[in-house]
Amino acid sequence: MTTPILELRQATKLYGGSPAIEAVDFSLAAGEIHALVGENGAGKSTLTKVMAGVVPLTSGKMLIGGKEAVPRTPLEARHLGVAMVFQENSLVPSMTVAQNLFLGQEKFYNRLRGIYIAAQQFLQSLNFDVTPTATVAQLGAAKKQMVEIARAVLHDARVIIFDEPTASLTPEEKKYFFDLMRDLKRRGVSIIFISHALEEALLISDRITVLRDGRHVVTDETRSFDRARIIQAMVGRDLSRTLYAGRKEQVRSAGRRVLTVENLRMAPMVKNNSLSVFAGQVTGVFGLVGSGRTETFKIVSGILKRDFFHGGEVVLNGRPVRYLTPAPAIRDGIAYITEDRKVEGFFETMSIARNVYMGLLAKLGGKRSLVRNKEAEAVGKKWVQTLNVRAIGQDVKVVELSGGNQQKIVIAKSLVQEPGLIIFDEPTRGVDVGAIAEIHQLIDRLADEGNAVVMISSYLPEIMARSDRILVCRQGKVVEEFSGLEATEEKIMYAAIH
Amino acid sequence: MIGALRTISDRVLGRGDSAITVPIFDGALKPNQLLEDAEIVASLDAAEDLASDDDALLVASGDAVLRLGDTGLREVARFDRQVTALCAMPDGGIAVALGGREIVVRQRAGGEHRSTGPANAPFHAANAIARMGDGRLAVTDGSLGNDCAQWAHDLLGRGTSGRLILLDAETRDAREAVRGLEYAFGACPSGDETLVSESWRHRLIAVAADGRQRVVLERLPVYPSRLAVAAGGGFWLTAFAARTQLVEFVLRENAFRRRMMREIAPEHWIAPRLRSGDTYLEPMQGAHLRTMGVLKPWAPPRSYGLVVRVSADGMPRYSLHSRVDGMNHGVVAAAEAGAFLYLLAKGPGRLLRLPLAALEKDAAA
Repeated sequence: MTTPILELRQATKLYGGSPAIEAVDFSLAAGEIHALVGENGAGKSTLTKVMAGVVPLTSGKMLIGGKEAVPRTPLEARHLGVAMVFQENSLVPSMTVAQNLFLGQEKFYNRLRGIYIAAQQFLQSLNFDVTPTATVAQLGAAKKQMVEIARAVLHDARVIIFDEPTASLTPEEKKYFFDLMRDLKRRGVSIIFISHALEEALLISDRITVLRDGRHVVTDETRSFDRARIIQAMVGRDLSRTLYAGRKEQVRSAGRRVLTVENLRMAPMVKNNSLSVFAGQVTGVFGLVGSGRTETFKIVSGILKRDFFHGGEVVLNGRPVRYLTPAPAIRDGIAYITEDRKVEGFFETMSIARNVYMGLLAKLGGKRSLVRNKEAEAVGKKWVQTLNVRAIGQDVKVVELSGGNQQKIVIAKSLVQEPGLIIFDEPTRGVDVGAIAEIHQLIDRLADEGNAVVMISSYLPEIMARSDRILVCRQGKVVEEFSGLEATEEKIMYAAIH
Repeated sequence: MIGALRTISDRVLGRGDSAITVPIFDGALKPNQLLEDAEIVASLDAAEDLASDDDALLVASGDAVLRLGDTGLREVARFDRQVTALCAMPDGGIAVALGGREIVVRQRAGGEHRSTGPANAPFHAANAIARMGDGRLAVTDGSLGNDCAQWAHDLLGRGTSGRLILLDAETRDAREAVRGLEYAFGACPSGDETLVSESWRHRLIAVAADGRQRVVLERLPVYPSRLAVAAGGGFWLTAFAARTQLVEFVLRENAFRRRMMREIAPEHWIAPRLRSGDTYLEPMQGAHLRTMGVLKPWAPPRSYGLVVRVSADGMPRYSLHSRVDGMNHGVVAAAEAGAFLYLLAKGPGRLLRLPLAALEKDAAA
């Protein structure tokens, strides 16, 4: 192999004395796609943040093009040819897509029209269907991700680090994205690709590095890996049989009708949508991005509002309801567990206990005017144990937890409200395989206990493996329903697209 | 005053009673082709109701009652008026409603009792009879203002005069158990209660002996009709038409609705039908949908066929459908006899049957 374009030797990064990565050796060849996999908390994000100049190394060395480099800011790293597309959204929400793309590259005199035309051409060259004049705040998660990717590509970096780039992309968008990665590779750009979807790592990468608990486990050519070997290396145990075991062999029968949505409208996303959700079942909701599934359930939960005129009806337990805010929906037993946990899911600088307690306060509303510290601690402790949150204690700030544990906190924040209708929106996005198994077990348990569970997911194997009943959304409405027994990936995708 | 303002704002905003919404066919009501694919046993233009006498099926057709045997349908009784409801009695006799006005119990031995409603007033639209555990008959009287054939008049007239009457055929004692129903159409014993279909409110209620009501199923996407006890527990609920937003809209537009009823022939009303007609005069309910970039003509379904298998605790288990493009629409009666479920699709005038074992097997799968 030629001189690596980027190399880390004995890289160690300590947070408060605890190592996030410890003595990690890593090398990236020119024009290589290198997948970095590992459970949440394995150190992938820290390792890439070191490369992108977000955090400095505590000890060890980084070499770029054979020369030692110590980038102290992302801007310095970008000047060294390293750009990173973060898992967290780093766009300015109040600016347009085009303005975000050219942020930091502004000239003395900027013609907005010129920026928009350049952005339009650039986005089209990437096959990204994003309007350059749209404000970023108006975009969904997938489109924001597209803008992030486009920005990194625009900066002509020699090394691009993608942290979970495909988590919010549709299958078609993923295909475009993979073509884009291959194109970048042909142009000599090296890519580090972090993904929890192991199939993607196996499909697109040249080499795979597995990290576990902040340590390097193995690096090898992709062709010498299979799914089972990666999982074995990631978790030290074989989980391949428990995750996405394929089609269900038995489905739960429907209980009473908990939720009925009748002719719901919210232009332009939800168009005359109707569906039912039953107790004691997991109702999987599949659809491409823009199919209106998240918006429908956000209306049900009072997060979004339906159309003012003739917006349809939502009936909860036989009673028509219309929530203008989430609080009354929570009091009526609806829990919506967001797909965007970092923005909507928790208060990142607050402790685990406080975050979970916030969920309880949301339920109690005006009945609890004073915060009781002891109660908060007790609630936090109980849920840390119940959901097996891996943290030093319930006083730890949520931002310091790994993605999987953060997701468990978001779930705990809703379950503490003892809801009857639980809506999981992309429950395992950006979550490692170990936590995925735990979250899936929790979803099953909630349905077994008689709750009505809705699971919105873009990941077909997850929908197929967990759902008793599958609703497929397209263009703002449910277009097809399958029993968990009859569904196949082909049938679901056909309904979602045609 | 506040109520009036709310009504006005609801009409403008499309909320509350003015929300023109229709529940979806999903879950146990997910559409299939089972009813459309059912075997056609016979074609009967004037068939009204079904009943089963142990292993034999009885069919009310015109002013006669027929029995289905190995050689086909054979007349077992004839009356002076059209039979609008039929029930098999334990002694081998039958109870029928004639012209919707009176109940006649004809015993196997040949005796006959004729009964009218409470206070000796005639029934108006007696459309279903069920035998209760205590020997009385539960009779649903659809409407006090319209007869059985004029059910569409009752719907568009927003009728609320349906009744459930408990009748002792021996003593001719008739008691009104419930009144003010929005078209009572079907009754069935369920433990100590009587299940009643309330068509215009799209629901099924259970009426206790003391008259207390309990909602068993509501917000159905159809107009429910007669019920039949299922041998495996629970019952069969038939539905003669599906709800559409267009009809719901018309029902809320009082001036339009009244003018339509006044000026247009009933067969051309915007109302549910037992079968889709072939005339170009039928309202096409002009609208269109753009699908895959192609503008397609569209019209809401005028008729539909549905039977729902409901468990003993009132939960729908599975359903049999004849969809918009099918023929077996307007299902008004069901009865189990032998190894088959017999259904009466009044739209095309067909007696249908499906093997029970296969249905249960499909449902279990």
